[in-house]
Amino acid sequence: MHWTVFLAETEGGLFDFDATLPLMAVQFLILVTILNATFYKPLGKAIDDRDDYVRGNETTARDRLEEVRQLTERYEQELAQTRKQAQSIVAEARGAASKIAAQNLAEAQAEALRKREAAAAEIEQQKQDAFASLEQQIDGLSRQMLEKLLGSELASR
Amino acid sequence: MSNLFNSLSAATLASLEVGQHWYWEIGGLKLHGQVFLTSWFVIAVLVVASTLATQSIQRVPSGLQNFMEFGLEFIRDLAKTQIGEKEYRPWVPFVGTLFLFIFVSNWSGALVPWKLIEIPAGELAAPTNDINTTVALSLLTSLAYFYAGISKKGLSYFAHYVEPTPILLPINILEDFTKPLSLSFRLFGNILADELVVGVLVFLVPLFVPLPVMVLGLFTSAIQALIFATLAAAYIGGAMEGHH
Repeated sequence: MHWTVFLAETEGGLFDFDATLPLMAVQFLILVTILNATFYKPLGKAIDDRDDYVRGNETTARDRLEEVRQLTERYEQELAQTRKQAQSIVAEARGAASKIAAQNLAEAQAEALRKREAAAAEIEQQKQDAFASLEQQIDGLSRQMLEKLLGSELASR
Repeated sequence: MSNLFNSLSAATLASLEVGQHWYWEIGGLKLHGQVFLTSWFVIAVLVVASTLATQSIQRVPSGLQNFMEFGLEFIRDLAKTQIGEKEYRPWVPFVGTLFLFIFVSNWSGALVPWKLIEIPAGELAAPTNDINTTVALSLLTSLAYFYAGISKKGLSYFAHYVEPTPILLPINILEDFTKPLSLSFRLFGNILADELVVGVLVFLVPLFVPLPVMVLGLFTSAIQALIFATLAAAYIGGAMEGHH
């Protein structure tokens, strides 16, 4: 080739340009198209699909996480409310129970007091009765003693 | 001393068969047969690997698919950083194939013992070891960035030659020649130099001493593939970028 004239060698040499150059270029372009069909397109599609898949999954997972967080919050609020209600119910019940107990106690005390007073009154009554009968008997006995000692005429005077 | 060096270099260069080609004649055209043989090997490796990797694509990749996806993501990142998020996708095959072809070529030159296979003339080596290959790739890169610029901006693409000032017109035009020149010669020079150094060292001290240089050669080869692809992507991105 005429280029090699400049390079001081007529045949061979390092800078021996010939039809290798264009054929290599054509060969390379063919390789580009083959690899485009067998390598870049399918694998690129696989990578892009995977990216989409991962991104989609990540988005739904994030949505679900957000949903779960909201649900948890709601449940926690409900739980707190319910706990408060329960406490108030317990307090109410305790108040009512103590009121009933106090009432019952007061009633019982009143009953006991009444019974004691009734018993005391009865005792007093019986004491009076006993004194009264004793007095009678004392009267009878003293009359008998008088009759015995003084005779019945004197005694009846 | 200089005599010794001269005779030594003459002997080694003679045994390395630098600049000798196995010519094929097809329709009056001369071809470098050894370059095509190894380039077919490289193309076969790439096609077989990508076909196997995409045979049954899984959502959770494993094995070869995983490896090739790693490669593809690397290439995509490279193209994305150089060309930009919006425009990079159609250029991934071109830039990626540049990288893969050069990378596998370079590493096949460093790892496959081509020189053990006897051919009628010259010797088998990495396809990037031949200036025709590197110039072909860099001219394709030039065409690619012209195509990118013109398809993006129409004829106003050529306005960038007089920007920022018309004084830079000659330099801007010169750039279109220096870009493929530097691309092709950087790759060609690095790969050829690496193979020559390894060849000379193997010739002088066959045991152990060439190993560090070979490892360094693997490193350089990978870096050269990366540089070529990155620069090609940068040129394409620069052509599409607005200068206003």
